[in-house]
Amino acid sequence: MMLQFLVNATTLGAFYALVAIGFSLILGVTHAFNLAHGEMLLLSGYLAYFLGKHFGAPLLLILPVSMLTMLFAALCLERLLRRVPEPHELNTLVITFGLVLLLQNAMLMAFSANYRIVAPETGPGQTPSSTLFLSETQVLILGLSLAATGAVFLLLKRSFLGKALRATIQDGEAARLAGINVKHMHLLAFGLGGLLVGTAGPLYARTAYLHPFGGMEATLIAVILTIFAGVGRIRGLLIGGWILGLVESGTVLLLGTNWRELASSLILIALLLLRPEGLLPKWAKTRP
Amino acid sequence: MGEDKAMKRVRTPTRLSVALLSAGFLLFLGWPWLTARGGIHCQAMSMALFHGCLALAWNICSMMGAVSLGHTAFFGLGAYGSALLCHYGHLNPFLTIPLGGILGAFYGVLWHIAFGKLRGAPFALASLASVEIPKVIIDNWESFTFGSLGVVGIPPLSPIRVGSFMLDFGENPVHLYHLFLVGTLFLCLLYRQALRSRWGWAVRTIREDETAAASLGVNVRRTRLQVFICSAFLTGICGGVYAHLMGLVEPALVFSLHISALPLVLSIFGGRFQWYGPLLGAVVLYPLDQVVFRSLFPVGHSALYGFVVILTLMLFPQGMGAWLQKRLHLASS
Repeated sequence: MMLQFLVNATTLGAFYALVAIGFSLILGVTHAFNLAHGEMLLLSGYLAYFLGKHFGAPLLLILPVSMLTMLFAALCLERLLRRVPEPHELNTLVITFGLVLLLQNAMLMAFSANYRIVAPETGPGQTPSSTLFLSETQVLILGLSLAATGAVFLLLKRSFLGKALRATIQDGEAARLAGINVKHMHLLAFGLGGLLVGTAGPLYARTAYLHPFGGMEATLIAVILTIFAGVGRIRGLLIGGWILGLVESGTVLLLGTNWRELASSLILIALLLLRPEGLLPKWAKTRP
Repeated sequence: MGEDKAMKRVRTPTRLSVALLSAGFLLFLGWPWLTARGGIHCQAMSMALFHGCLALAWNICSMMGAVSLGHTAFFGLGAYGSALLCHYGHLNPFLTIPLGGILGAFYGVLWHIAFGKLRGAPFALASLASVEIPKVIIDNWESFTFGSLGVVGIPPLSPIRVGSFMLDFGENPVHLYHLFLVGTLFLCLLYRQALRSRWGWAVRTIREDETAAASLGVNVRRTRLQVFICSAFLTGICGGVYAHLMGLVEPALVFSLHISALPLVLSIFGGRFQWYGPLLGAVVLYPLDQVVFRSLFPVGHSALYGFVVILTLMLFPQGMGAWLQKRLHLASS
């Protein structure tokens, strides 16, 4: 029972971290609040749903298609947000909020308000020990999330490109002085964010019911984890995702599903109050 | 900001703007007779005025620089407060609506206590998250609030007898329209006078530079508290009126992202920095959505609002009001 709970919470946490990394990278590098992050996740979820349903495409084919589509969408978003007038962070927040309204209603128009889910191809698999119940989807989520997270971690820590990205997160002006093309870094951050969302979307479609208005919750989770860990800190995001997964699963277990949203909102408010600098740690120092 | 530009000009009412204002007033007064009385256009304009009030209430916060994404919390609390008082206490709606507004204002005080240090984007996020608290509590407290089923059978606004004339707001859409028109005009004038007062300048100074405002002798904490209370109280009243208009409230209806978004979109489109901006946005955009877009796209017609807010911020960050003011100034000089 306890082990089962831990496994479920860990899977959820790994997935949360995967959703949050894209948001956190975009915020860190370009200082743009992408409130439409959850809607992008939903869009790629719907894409996976329809590809799987109408063309019978396997996940191995769906994943690259969804990743490329979201990469394109994220780059379009970058072109839009690049021209946002000052004050940049508040205006990107309001514009992406407008984008949320636009996308929610467009999805309502296109996909109707029905709940949809991608049914697992085979029945839930059973591990040798009969007490632990691990479905194929869970293994898939845990594996893919950790793989994608690890890949981004290696990119950031081990490559020259990652070093440039981290420098831009720390201080854009100084990075520019050091000869880093900050505009390319912005494109790269949005591109990585799009690829990660494109990976997460098909997984989301397998675990949760897709509904046009369901994206805000995912965005809030990304925001919570980003405040907890600070921008662009992969290990912190993983730990935060795991804790959030534990807290949410615990709330559902103890109080029921209705209270889950309250738990995440209270955590968000508490984090904003306790570390209001958590969202933008580097700006506070460099731009008083 | 546009404020310093506007300050350089001497603000005297020009003949043209007076003529435009009075023409607009006459148009609104006669609107029910110009269109089919009580028809869809009259009802759409009533609701446009209602959303204009909602946008005005939201814009008080925005004038101070606090862009909120969570005003539906006040709206829902006002709606539930008024509905439950009517349900349990059998009081007159005109008494319970202000009481619902007070409940909203109470939540505004909590905002001030909890979010005192937050500004800009973190404030917007916190306000967005704060909606879930009353929503989830009302959703789960089934013995008192009837949970997700909502409260049904809320009485409409009670009729008022003036001499021999009966003003029946529940039955006659034209009377309701004129009630909203009077309420909106009153609120608009109050808002205009408040902004031109010492207090109004203090509020806008806080938006431009908080440190400078404090050094000029503005009590920033107290002004913030007053702004939150005013904005939350008025939004709560709008929520109460909405509950009696609809006849039912349920958590998903009154605590929705849509209600948080509408005043923001209308204010930004109409002009956040003018006193008439939110109302202008409401009377232009809301009927456009309800009359034109709704018949074209029955599902998802609200996408218009998202589209408008993106376009306005990219092309005219100051909104329609500032653009109009510039035209008027050029035309009259």
